[in-house]
Amino acid sequence: MAARDRFGAYADLGLTALQRAIRHACDISHYEPNLALNLEVADLINSKKGNAPREAALEIVRLINSRNQNVSLLALALLDICVKNCGYPFHLQISTKEFLNELVRRFPERPALRPTRVQHRILESIEEWRQTICQTSRYKEDLGHIRDMHRLLLYKGYVFPEIRNEDAAVLNPSDNLRSAEEMEEEEKEAQSAKLQELIRRGTPADLQEANRLMKVMAGYDNRHKTDYRAKAAEEVAKVQQKAKILEEMLQSQQPGERIAEGDVFEELANALQSAHPKIQKMCEEESDDPEAVHKLLEINDSIHRTIERYKLVKKGDLEAASKIPKGTLGTTTGVSKNANNELSLIDFDPEPSSNGSTSQPAGGSSLENDLLGLSIEEPALTGGISLGPGPGPVPPMPSSTPPVQQAPSAFKPNYDILSSLNSSRPASQSSTPAPAAMRPQSTTATPPPSDPFASLVSASPRHPSPFPSVVSRTSSSQPPAGNTKAPDEDEWDFTSSLPESNALPTTNRVQVLNSSLRVEFVVRRHPQQARQIHMVALFSNGTSQPLSELHFQVAVEKAYTLQLRPQSGRDIGALQTNGVQQEMLVSGVEAGKGNSIKMRFKVSYRVGNEQKEEQGMVPSLGIA
Amino acid sequence: MGGQVSKLMGKIFGTKEMRILMLGLDAAGKTTILYKLKLTNQEVTTIPTVGFNVESVTYKNVKFNVWDVGGQDKIRPLWRHYYSGTQGLIFVVDSSDTARMEEARSELHKIINDREMKDALLLVFANKQDIQGHMSPEDVTNALQLNKLKDKLWYVAPSVATEGTGIFEGLAWLSNNVKTPAQK
Repeated sequence: MAARDRFGAYADLGLTALQRAIRHACDISHYEPNLALNLEVADLINSKKGNAPREAALEIVRLINSRNQNVSLLALALLDICVKNCGYPFHLQISTKEFLNELVRRFPERPALRPTRVQHRILESIEEWRQTICQTSRYKEDLGHIRDMHRLLLYKGYVFPEIRNEDAAVLNPSDNLRSAEEMEEEEKEAQSAKLQELIRRGTPADLQEANRLMKVMAGYDNRHKTDYRAKAAEEVAKVQQKAKILEEMLQSQQPGERIAEGDVFEELANALQSAHPKIQKMCEEESDDPEAVHKLLEINDSIHRTIERYKLVKKGDLEAASKIPKGTLGTTTGVSKNANNELSLIDFDPEPSSNGSTSQPAGGSSLENDLLGLSIEEPALTGGISLGPGPGPVPPMPSSTPPVQQAPSAFKPNYDILSSLNSSRPASQSSTPAPAAMRPQSTTATPPPSDPFASLVSASPRHPSPFPSVVSRTSSSQPPAGNTKAPDEDEWDFTSSLPESNALPTTNRVQVLNSSLRVEFVVRRHPQQARQIHMVALFSNGTSQPLSELHFQVAVEKAYTLQLRPQSGRDIGALQTNGVQQEMLVSGVEAGKGNSIKMRFKVSYRVGNEQKEEQGMVPSLGIA
Repeated sequence: MGGQVSKLMGKIFGTKEMRILMLGLDAAGKTTILYKLKLTNQEVTTIPTVGFNVESVTYKNVKFNVWDVGGQDKIRPLWRHYYSGTQGLIFVVDSSDTARMEEARSELHKIINDREMKDALLLVFANKQDIQGHMSPEDVTNALQLNKLKDKLWYVAPSVATEGTGIFEGLAWLSNNVKTPAQK
């Protein structure tokens, strides 16, 4: 060993440490790839950065073209490790023309009958890169030459071997939750690598690009600056989504069923578990924003509960699992999931206040309330009883799924805090028959729109259906129709129990407020613009005094954009109907989602000498 | 074909190519020096460089590819991207700005301590010698602690970039001392 080292030292004179490490890893004396040495090379590249990825790529490809097949294969194994561990800076190097041309230098013009082992491995690598980083990398447009080389080889008649997806999966961007800081770091690293490469190439176009990139990196050009906090919030929302899915799956778990190893359950649980420390880290990073921290902590808690439940269910201890409060994400209090969850964007008031109460909105919303009523009755049904195939319109309630028992104990103590928080604002949808305890929805006060984390808790998936809450509840608390996991419920077609008419009109009239000031919305789909909803707010004075200083404000979810035309006036005469009008446009609304838009309004006006202010939620628009 | 011939000519007549990186604090006069080299005998007015400029200047059979990178503190962290392949570093200091001499020293030492710059020649332009109260090249040498450097070929040249005095002398020193042929 020592002798070889000494000998090696002679041969390596004038080489950089990196080149030495690469040669050592691909030394002919190894019979098979030495993972430890290969990872050492990858670490060296990652720690040195700068020119190191390029230096390594060129050295490795030189060894791939070695006369000795064994060395070539070792070098190819090392290349694989580097591609998978050194990230974008290395990807940028393997996608240079220079590298790719060198990689296939020993390929004959026409493919041989049988490719050699080295050729086979090279083809495999190129195919792997094409299927992974060329498609999924954030910077895939920088990796175009790989695809070009693939096409060229294909054209020449080379056949690419099939790729085992699990081998290549590591090249795809990870699902792990990343905080704002980490993402910024990653982006900076990629920019650095790109700048270095542009400067090295030095063609006028590259230099121009380099100059532009420098301005961005130095912070002079903020036009394209990514809002990392917003991105992090997005990421958290994804995790939330996963937790939700797992929660739903766990709740539909039947007593006798086992969770198989490597199941989708496990995958989700692992993803959540790995997100756990990240969220804690985010809390630290966001420590200057108490609201964001608060939300993150809530999310963290609910993820924790979901993981706990998963563990118990996995052990087969369904009873214990069902004792854990059913904190679905989106409900910060850990209140049992109910149909209102999806509507929880905006807070509800436990006490219906008189001036905010609204007429029952048409269409889907009343249906929601019907179902909401059903879900309230849920606790009354004893869990574990299998619903017999009895006649009549038996609501297809999830009676065979014990975890959905909504024991009152599930209500968390922080309900009180929230209800006091919520009671400060007038109610909107208060005609729902739900008992007060069910109603305090978890979302805290409407967040300032500028805060990317603000929308987190309320972020809920948009269902294409006009009845979002119905659908989600169906899938969450009972096996979906036709689910083979529930053989005893095969006969039941859950969707058929819903009213047939789920086609909503394209125009509707909604009463928004009915107090001394009446506000009505005339809502219709914009005839030309497919994704726009056109609304006219009509203001009427219900008092015998003139009304003045009318100021109407509306807010929509961030996914949509709202455009307000000027109010036609600020004064309404005594008992005048439709004294003031205001046009509004909501854009970005897919067909069929018109009913799931959530809006809040706030209006201030003066009647006589009294200054009034009212706010609440706009009821479902009742259009498609 | 033409390229082949000129390459051959280059080999015969010994045209060398040299990659030069010009750095220094902001407002030291880097861009002025660059364009004075490029456009001899012309008036040069510059604005603060955000990003970089690159020009090739042929002087005494040596083709200098001079990279002039902005010196504002926001850009300094990006300097390292230009190190790779650099054979000569031109560090420009404003000899009249005694207050920032220490800052210049720390930046210079950061650069030359980088692994990729260890073989590069170091030419310091003690610029703005025309301004009252300027430091002499010797003072600049001491302020930058160049005498402490080991295994480094360095030279301090006085210059007045706006008039173009001293800058070609600096290039001559570089071309006389370059050893390794330019790497592509």
